[in-house]
Amino acid sequence: MKKELEHKFVTELQDNQNIVHKICSLYTNDRESHNDLFQEITIQLWKAYPKFRGEAKFSTWMYRVALNTAITLYRKSKKRISTQDYESVIFKIKADEYDETEEQQLKLMYKAVRQLGDIDKALVFMYLEDKNYTEIAETLGITEVNARVKMNRIKTKLRTILNP
Amino acid sequence: MTDELDLLKKDWQKKEAHLPKLSYSDIHKMIWKKSSSIVKWILIISILEFTLPHLLYLIPSMEEGLKIYDNIGVSNYILVTSIITYVFAIYFIYQFYKRFKEISVLDDSKSLMKKILRTRTTVKHYVIFSLSMIMVTVIIMAIGVFLSDNLADAFPELKEGLKHISEEKLRFTLMLSIGGFGVLLTLFMGGVYFLLYGLLLKKLQKNYKELRQLEF
Repeated sequence: MKKELEHKFVTELQDNQNIVHKICSLYTNDRESHNDLFQEITIQLWKAYPKFRGEAKFSTWMYRVALNTAITLYRKSKKRISTQDYESVIFKIKADEYDETEEQQLKLMYKAVRQLGDIDKALVFMYLEDKNYTEIAETLGITEVNARVKMNRIKTKLRTILNP
Repeated sequence: MTDELDLLKKDWQKKEAHLPKLSYSDIHKMIWKKSSSIVKWILIISILEFTLPHLLYLIPSMEEGLKIYDNIGVSNYILVTSIITYVFAIYFIYQFYKRFKEISVLDDSKSLMKKILRTRTTVKHYVIFSLSMIMVTVIIMAIGVFLSDNLADAFPELKEGLKHISEEKLRFTLMLSIGGFGVLLTLFMGGVYFLLYGLLLKKLQKNYKELRQLEF
């Protein structure tokens, strides 16, 4: 029974691992921390898995646990090796797919998003993942109106970061 | 700006191709690793905080110290203080256990943070209580020294050395050192406590404040 559950969980997480990787890439600056956070999210997901009854989609349930881990439970390790090449691997943008200005703009945008606070990042993340405001509000524990207000403020913040 | 964020959104979806891909066995290995989450650290530190003050009594020299209470005639008051301390310690441990059990990663972020902070508050109250009890003990000892008729007898092993010191001077020195020790111990424990939790919960507190501020 336990083995079965284990197998089901690992398979489902493997299929949906992109979600966790995307969160890790937003919240950490180097490969080591990325793996660290991925590890912690996996543990938290596994611990909470027996309570997952399948009412929601696995991925929806994952968003909540993963984001909670990133913004609440995770303790950044002290090692701070900021590697530039890591960023270019994770946010690799194929040059031939874009014209240069667009590529430049995107690079700046990613950089600006990474400068935001933990909560702001969570909002931007869910926005980018095409979540609606109801879901964003429910995940963070705020009202829908407040989620919208906050998102507008983030947009303004990003604008000032991009055009100081 | 909305255009730029939408541009980012389009790119975000394309980015998936460049993300790392972990194998089944990679993930399988991960589920058996130990968590190092804030909640786990709070649990470990709290258990230490609950047990450490009581372990102190197991050190032999502390046991000898208890004899001094007898000698200066305050052992009954110290006993009452100890009983109160233990009753409250049990109450606090029960509260802490209840709060700790409530923490669930499936809650929304704000509730989760709130519950973690409440758990921490319970321990904080316990630490403040413990420190107050240390102070009470110290005050009782100081009063005992003040009222004791024959101070030199209270410290048999020091008797020889104490012969040359006048009773008044001894009384004053003892009260001062007991008082000083009490204050230092309280400050030290308080400092360790606030440093420990201050560092551990800095990020969590900041994020909680940010979510809460949205309501106003």
